[in-house]
Amino acid sequence: MSHADDALKNREVWTKANAEYTDRRARQAWAQEEIDWGMFSGPESEIGALGEVGGRDVIELGCGTAYFGAWLAKRGARVTGVDVTPAQLETARRMQEEFDLHFPLIEASAEEVPLPDASFDLAVSEYGASIWCDPDRWIGEAARLLRPGGRLVFLCNSPLSILCAPDEGKVEERLLRPYTDFGRMEWPGEDEGVNYHLPHGEMIRVLGEKGFVVEALHERLAPDSTTDHEYYDFVPAEWARRWPAEEVWVARKSV
Amino acid sequence: MPERASEHAQTNRAYWDRTSDEYQQRHREFIGRPEPRWGVWQIRESELDVLGEIDGKDVLELGCGAAHWSILLAKQGARPVGLDNSARQLEHARERLAEAGVDFPLVHASAEDIPLPDQSFDVVFCDHGGFTFADPYKVVPEAARLLWPGGLLAFSHSSPFVAVCEGEDERVHPALTRDYFGLHEQDHGDVVTYELPYGEWIRLFRSNGFIVEDLIEPRPEPDATSTYWDDEEREWARRWPSESIWKARKAA
Repeated sequence: MSHADDALKNREVWTKANAEYTDRRARQAWAQEEIDWGMFSGPESEIGALGEVGGRDVIELGCGTAYFGAWLAKRGARVTGVDVTPAQLETARRMQEEFDLHFPLIEASAEEVPLPDASFDLAVSEYGASIWCDPDRWIGEAARLLRPGGRLVFLCNSPLSILCAPDEGKVEERLLRPYTDFGRMEWPGEDEGVNYHLPHGEMIRVLGEKGFVVEALHERLAPDSTTDHEYYDFVPAEWARRWPAEEVWVARKSV
Repeated sequence: MPERASEHAQTNRAYWDRTSDEYQQRHREFIGRPEPRWGVWQIRESELDVLGEIDGKDVLELGCGAAHWSILLAKQGARPVGLDNSARQLEHARERLAEAGVDFPLVHASAEDIPLPDQSFDVVFCDHGGFTFADPYKVVPEAARLLWPGGLLAFSHSSPFVAVCEGEDERVHPALTRDYFGLHEQDHGDVVTYELPYGEWIRLFRSNGFIVEDLIEPRPEPDATSTYWDDEEREWARRWPSESIWKARKAA
């Protein structure tokens, strides 16, 4: 399968997910004031991954309905959202009208972004390009799009959760698949697309090769109050209270 | 041992003084081969290239045991210093040095509190030594103090996955048995070991002025054997990361 075929497959998956969940969830997400990360709502106020965003040029890679970009735009960032799924961008545009909060939205894969080099201070991805694109390509694109000293911040599934994930169904309390499965992963379920997961050592290597210095890896513990996610339910909350389900990487493009 | 030595450093000193002879007898042949190799599966340094060119460099080994590693680095032109918390381990080291016909300083101290001057090394390293049996929150700042700007910190350690998957039988299994969060000190009764989550290692390096250069998670060959892990555990290590080799550079 080529990268273009994968992008088409993932577009199908997200067109369906938008009809089932992300469209109806968009208004609530856009209305939220606090920035938070992932399925178990890790608060940015606690993690501190983004730094100051006011006045910064920010690109969101795999923005979906662009609620994350909206949170940053509300704080004075000049945001551009990129996504490969037209249905999600349509929802994002409708939210922009509703909230009177406008910023450019571009239909493109984060592996090939039609924007000039060195035009952003911050590249973010919350379960966007960070798992749906080839790290070798999208992290290279992030490096190209960022100015020297710019910051890359992204959230992805933890390697441990992927190792404990069966082909279909919920994450279990035991290692099920070898880490040699990592890299491009095509999940057999009918609603599943193609995504990418790397062991930590590989992620550090790719970031280094693309010119980034790793600043932090925030492995997230779900708080005691966490309940199972209403839609992304493949990691039980109980699991996420003992082991990291998701993690935020922070890297800086070398000056 | 200085009076300020922590309780766990004393526990581990007693443990290694007591078990050193048996340890050396059991593993000496396996870890004493004629080229530098890393960890449980003794994977060649020439394959992993962790330390880089070592000729002419001042190198400190934290938890050197019988100093197999430092002897080989001395033969490659390094100026090593071997540090160990156990006097008995250092007696074995002195015998090995004499056999090899090399000479370098051996220091009897815990890696948490090293009686050597600031900025005196190009490389601080260990292979399952001072970062396992001493508290990383004390050892990483010591490494930062001892290295020149631009110096290399490199060490192997059990991966955090091993800590999570270790059963009561002290062997690894597919089941997740221990919580990941809060990994730090593990008291086995006779010995105390240390583990950190991946992200916590990175935070500790950064807060002590290190730049993270690499994390190598070596994988044993299908027919690898070890005096530390058996064949069943090798199958685990073929499937999941069992060891971490961290490389961090002190900012220039």
